[in-house]
Amino acid sequence: MTDAEIIDRINGGDRNLYRLLVERYQPLVFRTCMGFLHNKEDADDLTQDIFIQTYQTLTGYKGDSSFSTWIYRISVNACLNKIRKSSKSSFLQRFENVFGSEKNIEYSFPASEAENPEALLINTEQKEWVERALNSLPEKQRIAIVLSKYDDLSQKEIAEIMETTEGAVEALIQRAKANLREKLSSLYKKKKK
Amino acid sequence: MNCQLCQNELDAYLEGTLPQGTGIQVAEHLKKCSVCSESFQLLTLANKVMDAEMKVQSNPFLVTRIMAGIEEMENQSASFQHIPAYQKVFKPILISVSLAAAIFFGVFLGSTYLSAESHQRIPVELSYMNDAALESIDLFSQL
Repeated sequence: MTDAEIIDRINGGDRNLYRLLVERYQPLVFRTCMGFLHNKEDADDLTQDIFIQTYQTLTGYKGDSSFSTWIYRISVNACLNKIRKSSKSSFLQRFENVFGSEKNIEYSFPASEAENPEALLINTEQKEWVERALNSLPEKQRIAIVLSKYDDLSQKEIAEIMETTEGAVEALIQRAKANLREKLSSLYKKKKK
Repeated sequence: MNCQLCQNELDAYLEGTLPQGTGIQVAEHLKKCSVCSESFQLLTLANKVMDAEMKVQSNPFLVTRIMAGIEEMENQSASFQHIPAYQKVFKPILISVSLAAAIFFGVFLGSTYLSAESHQRIPVELSYMNDAALESIDLFSQL
């Protein structure tokens, strides 16, 4: 059954079919959330919120773009809103760091990576560098790199989600990579001092 | 190959998408240049962290959680629809009126406040008066 058929039937009253859409798109939404939030629990919660929001606005889906593009747009906006509205003050973050936040504890590499001694060298501090460098990117560059790296989307697909041209996406990804390299270098140099 | 060219090709080198000749040149440069080598290592680290995050699996019960959330939301909206219309209107009105009354009472109570200066003061002469001397205890004992 295609997405359009499922949506038609849901809008017609067969609400249980929404489970099919959730099962089909949940990994995609979760990956996007991970790319922006870098925390499993937060990504789980936001994925749930996104699907509930999508369910409420499903009648508004006109089919102008594919359902995946539509849900990607909702996910990206939800992630950006979550980051903007994040109520955690720097004081609370420091407090968490002092008493050991769960964020650091729960992070683990997949089994195949963990077997590799090199992977084990990536400690939580280095993970934080990468997160900080990613978080400091301008919004559009960040969207482009998350969709490219975490969701493995083509430039054409990213352009459709961001409602821009493929050339613009290519430029955004290039600038994001260059900025990421610069930010990581400066963090590494600060650490060396 | 100079550093500028090498830095530009690092991503492609890491992804293995460079032509063989250019790849060899980058590899040679990385052996000699510590700055570019450091950049390459940091880029490798970033890719490893992103790959690891990408492979993190969501909660296995997430689909069930989502469906339960939707069901709960629908039940709540259905139960709200069952509430009689007069109750839906009366409750917020009652709360608003109570709140307005509380504010009005607070303002009224505050306006009754009079400062100490506005009270009638005791004359200075009275403060020097010894009440005990005026009314002797003997006056009561003789009764």
